[in-house]
Amino acid sequence: MGKILVIAEHRNGKLSEGTLELCKVAKEIASATGNTPAAAVFAKDDSIAKELAQYIPEVLSAVDAKFEYYTADAYSQAIRAVVEGNDVKGVVIAHSYDGVDFAGKTAMAIGAGIVSGVNKFEAKDGKVIFTRNIFNGKLQEQRSAKTDKFVVTVEKGAWDKEPSGSAGAVNSVAVSVGEVRTKVKEVIETTKGAVDISQAKVIIAGGRGTKDADKYKATVIALAQKLNGEYGASRAVVDAGWTDHARQIGQSGKTVSPDLYIGVGISGAIQHVAGMKSAKCIVAVNKDPEAPIFNIATYGIVGDLFEVVPAMLEELNK
Amino acid sequence: MKIAVCVKQVPDMESKFTVVDNSRVDESQIAFKMNDFDEFAVEAALQIKEKLGGEVIIVSVGPERIVKDIRQAFAMGADWGIQVQDPQVDEGDSFVVASAINKAIEKIGGADLILTGVMSNDNQSALTGIMVADMMKLPHCTNVVKLEIGGDQKSLTINRELEGGLNEVVEMPLPAVLSIQSGINQPRYPTLPGIMKAKKKRLDVVKAGDIGLSEVGKAASKTELVKMFIPVSEHKAEIIQGDPKQAAAALVNKLKNEVKVI
Repeated sequence: MGKILVIAEHRNGKLSEGTLELCKVAKEIASATGNTPAAAVFAKDDSIAKELAQYIPEVLSAVDAKFEYYTADAYSQAIRAVVEGNDVKGVVIAHSYDGVDFAGKTAMAIGAGIVSGVNKFEAKDGKVIFTRNIFNGKLQEQRSAKTDKFVVTVEKGAWDKEPSGSAGAVNSVAVSVGEVRTKVKEVIETTKGAVDISQAKVIIAGGRGTKDADKYKATVIALAQKLNGEYGASRAVVDAGWTDHARQIGQSGKTVSPDLYIGVGISGAIQHVAGMKSAKCIVAVNKDPEAPIFNIATYGIVGDLFEVVPAMLEELNK
Repeated sequence: MKIAVCVKQVPDMESKFTVVDNSRVDESQIAFKMNDFDEFAVEAALQIKEKLGGEVIIVSVGPERIVKDIRQAFAMGADWGIQVQDPQVDEGDSFVVASAINKAIEKIGGADLILTGVMSNDNQSALTGIMVADMMKLPHCTNVVKLEIGGDQKSLTINRELEGGLNEVVEMPLPAVLSIQSGINQPRYPTLPGIMKAKKKRLDVVKAGDIGLSEVGKAASKTELVKMFIPVSEHKAEIIQGDPKQAAAALVNKLKNEVKVI
């Protein structure tokens, strides 16, 4: 039996929640393919490995001062060493900023095919076939590795977190890490001291469809003020400078779970949805009836936001 | 500084997509444009060139229709380009495309800095640039939101975007491969003189064989497509019908009286 190997993700001595989702994925793939689930932890001590052992039967722990900060060079070398020393059939990595940074390099290091951003799998004729979003979620594809091993990055939230169970084994593995070419100087907070919209009960978020800064203000901000809520934005709006980064909702911004979220001119890219899908009531206003946001919304209006939002404001003024 | 920028052409994501043969998109109804993230990569390269001198070379893989967007990068200010135009390469996966980019960059004599977008809007893999870096044995950094070249032009200081509003500040040597995140700059619009000049700029169109790439297509790919399809969502929003006024009134009524959230 081979191993389906999770690569643990951690920062500042804290295991990421996504890693627990990866444990679930590895367990399901292992069970469907007759392999065993395991995880590898690369850290400066073995405390994370011990914590992770509650969620998976075997943890391979490699301890080295070079793992104090994540680097693609150290991770890909370490994974290669673990894969060479163990019968690893598949490597399971988070589709996160760090995960995506080292997954491609890892696939190259072990000569494996890689499928990124997967949200489902099926085992068929000895192959693992993965499903992933393409074309901004409007299409999906099923793809599998042609190599004897596979590497996947897993979309956040596509699987539940594995619950903790009886403690698994922690086995230390020796990996020698050679040259690390990138050097981490520091980690900084970019939105320190700025507005915090994460606790708001009502959030109106605007996307690219709001067209420009003035129109964003006249629609999204006006509606937020009318409803005594906060206004937020998708990445495109922040990139264009129509509002501050502190108001960005999604993977690289805030995670919010208001009672009411109204998305205006937002298509619902997975990176944005990651930050708002737990809102209690989701309303989407978009002119594209196939926009992915309608797949998670409670209510939708298919139409021109520059007609719908003023009509809502008028209705609220009655 | 010699900067290579990888540019891809993608469909406008607001298009209506139809899947043909469970394997590809019907292109007849689609408008194509430069990948959003690549515009930021082109702009980042142009800003470095303006500061330090040198040249910006566009590297692209794909069919004839891509020339329009290579010329757009020329109109923004890029100097010249190389396009791998070979259907055999286009049939391959990210690994094959990365192999073609690697060979194309070798063909132009290498580069001091190689920029890509964070990912393509269509394939969304975020893999190709990292694979190119590995093939070239160069260090890479992804999701770059700030970029400074050291005074000796041999090193870089970078802010790499992380989850939840954090940035990691990273130092690395040059040459390097960076994936540029949107928002790092405001990509310029081509000027009319820029557009005129772009028509005359050099574009080398090559096939796999011309750049020493012997293995291409599905045979050289490390993954295979099983099928492409339009997802069927288990959940669909309740669409509120009517003209904008009616729909807005019905929505406000629901939010006030049924869901009671306003």
